[in-house]
Amino acid sequence: MRKKIVFYLFVCLFLFAVLFPFFWQFITSIKPPTELFGERAFSFYTTNPSLQSYINVFTDQKRPFLRYLWNSTVVASITTAFSLIIASFTAYAIARLHFRGKNILLGVILAVSMFPQIATIAPVYLFLQQFDQTNSYFGLILPYTTFALPLAVWNLTTYYKQIPLELEESAKVDGATAFQRFYRIIVPLVLPGTFTTAILVFIAAWNEFLFALTINTDELYKTIPVGIALFQGQFIIPWGDIAAASVIVTIPLVIMVLFFQRWIVAGLTSGAVKE
Amino acid sequence: MSKKRGFSEKNIAYLFILPAVLIILVIAVYPVIRTFWLSLYDVRLNDPSKNDIYYSYKLDMDGFVEKYPILVSLMDRSLKKPENKASESKLKQLDQRVLKVKESLTNDPNFEKQYDQVDSIQMDDGNVPESLITYPLSKTSAISLLEELKTLQLEVKKLPIKDTDKQGMLGLLNGLQKTVIQPNFVGFSHYTDVIHQPRFWMSLWNTSVFTIISVAIELVLGLAIALLINRQFKGRGIVRASVLVPWAIPTVVSALMWKFMFDGQNGIMAKFFHFIGLIPDMGTLLTSKFWSMFAVIFADVWKTTPFMTLLLLAGLQTISGSLYEAAHVDGASRIQQFFKITLPLLKPTILVTLLFRTLDAFKVFDLVYVLTGGGPANATETISIYTYKTMFAQMNFGEGSALSVIGFICIAIISIFYIRFLGANIMSNNQSN
Repeated sequence: MRKKIVFYLFVCLFLFAVLFPFFWQFITSIKPPTELFGERAFSFYTTNPSLQSYINVFTDQKRPFLRYLWNSTVVASITTAFSLIIASFTAYAIARLHFRGKNILLGVILAVSMFPQIATIAPVYLFLQQFDQTNSYFGLILPYTTFALPLAVWNLTTYYKQIPLELEESAKVDGATAFQRFYRIIVPLVLPGTFTTAILVFIAAWNEFLFALTINTDELYKTIPVGIALFQGQFIIPWGDIAAASVIVTIPLVIMVLFFQRWIVAGLTSGAVKE
Repeated sequence: MSKKRGFSEKNIAYLFILPAVLIILVIAVYPVIRTFWLSLYDVRLNDPSKNDIYYSYKLDMDGFVEKYPILVSLMDRSLKKPENKASESKLKQLDQRVLKVKESLTNDPNFEKQYDQVDSIQMDDGNVPESLITYPLSKTSAISLLEELKTLQLEVKKLPIKDTDKQGMLGLLNGLQKTVIQPNFVGFSHYTDVIHQPRFWMSLWNTSVFTIISVAIELVLGLAIALLINRQFKGRGIVRASVLVPWAIPTVVSALMWKFMFDGQNGIMAKFFHFIGLIPDMGTLLTSKFWSMFAVIFADVWKTTPFMTLLLLAGLQTISGSLYEAAHVDGASRIQQFFKITLPLLKPTILVTLLFRTLDAFKVFDLVYVLTGGGPANATETISIYTYKTMFAQMNFGEGSALSVIGFICIAIISIFYIRFLGANIMSNNQSN
């Protein structure tokens, strides 16, 4: 019994450490501006909660917050769809077909996923500038593929390998071509794995900062991480607004994590854990 | 039977991988090679004569056509001004020389044609097309043109004329010099420059300190927590979901959260650290060299330990419980079990997790950019931040590319170290059988 109490104490401590910053962010976001400074800044509660910070986030003309959200949604969605379609073919070929240079291909994909993004930014930036594609969705989707595609190929290959070979063998006997086998049998079966991969790629694209910071500098094309990071003005930092914006961005992620946690955990651990 | 249709399995495989291979070549492999190539040239985006790689001598027509006529008219106007009467003869002489500058180029009829074309486009406020933007010069004419512009600048400096006129002329002559484009190949000199800068070694040191300490703490903490929660208990789902949240939020958001909590006046964590006597006063946290690095590592540990825990927990769950039972029967203590069973069986997971974490930590950018900006006094400036600042604050793409290449090599060395020397097997799951 005593052991159990100690155990739960540790678990609570761990949860507290993980969740405290979120709690603090929330409290800060509903404090009225006068309570953000001085002694009240350290208070764990507020007696007169205010939505002023939330109103500021959405109404400030200098930073179109909704537009940032929209930009991130567009860029992350297209990146995810695009890389998953390309990666499905590649992953199937790697998992199921025989061809020369398979291990080299895998090695290259893995190496690309390890590339520091800063190593490609200069040519990408110069290229986009030359063709007037900075401050556009394309300008971000293109470089995002560098990390999205390897991530997708790597995860999908694991899922494709788990599909029993017999299913395909029997289709082969029935005269189905590799292409038919791919889209009639494999793709539907691997849909859950594809979805898991899509979540991981989407989050990675949604959170990307370096390319977004350098390529899309126009307010109309900034993504949400860049938008929030540049909330801080030259002299004052609007902590209340930043807290409100953080809460707004965190809530959908929390909901997504609660809904899909099993799948996300499976996707995250498939690469690292040998079974 | 598929051969009948002209597609062997092998060909279909190549067809299937073709899009991915092309994309990877175009957006990953080529840019890395190009970065290396850029690092051998003096490319600066804030200098029109160096804003790209140039292999030969050229004249930037866009700039030349814009500035040259202004210089000519400025000289004419100042000639007519009565207050410049004293230096009239000298001014006339220089005016002639300025006119000669263009005459020497118009020996080539193509030049005049291109000059007029660019001029009319500029009149209409249009964009000068790529094909007209530069005019090829021979090395001798480029150098003599540059020399002439430099001497003219010196001569103008000596003129006893009105200051506004003089400054205008000097500025235009300076601008015209920038339109003479020279080949900007510099070989490996960016690399030799960089390794002689203390700031570079400082950033490498900061990156290493950050990487080693944060990854080590994350591993130990992650492993401890994973061992602790590797059992059935009520509320396990909540723990697992809450663990995912720090991982899922943008690093920028977590960095801002911590920046507020570390704030020297209103930060709750700063107050807490001060309260327990860790720091002498609240402001120290983000303004002193040691404590700002501490703050960065602290925030990183908060964001990534849960993720580490998750991976290690998944690894622990693959270890069969019967092994521990057998060890228990044989009288092995908990500690012996940990070192003889858990650690060896978990080693592959630990190595792969460590490899990816180390690489990520070494590339750290977002967290530092938001939390400290690399300060105070570059105390938290990492390689990525330094590279970013060189490229996008100083617009020095040549040197920035050299730094990128160095960062890339460091990443390669770390990977090789893990894979070759520690035996991290990242391919085993996906390798062809």
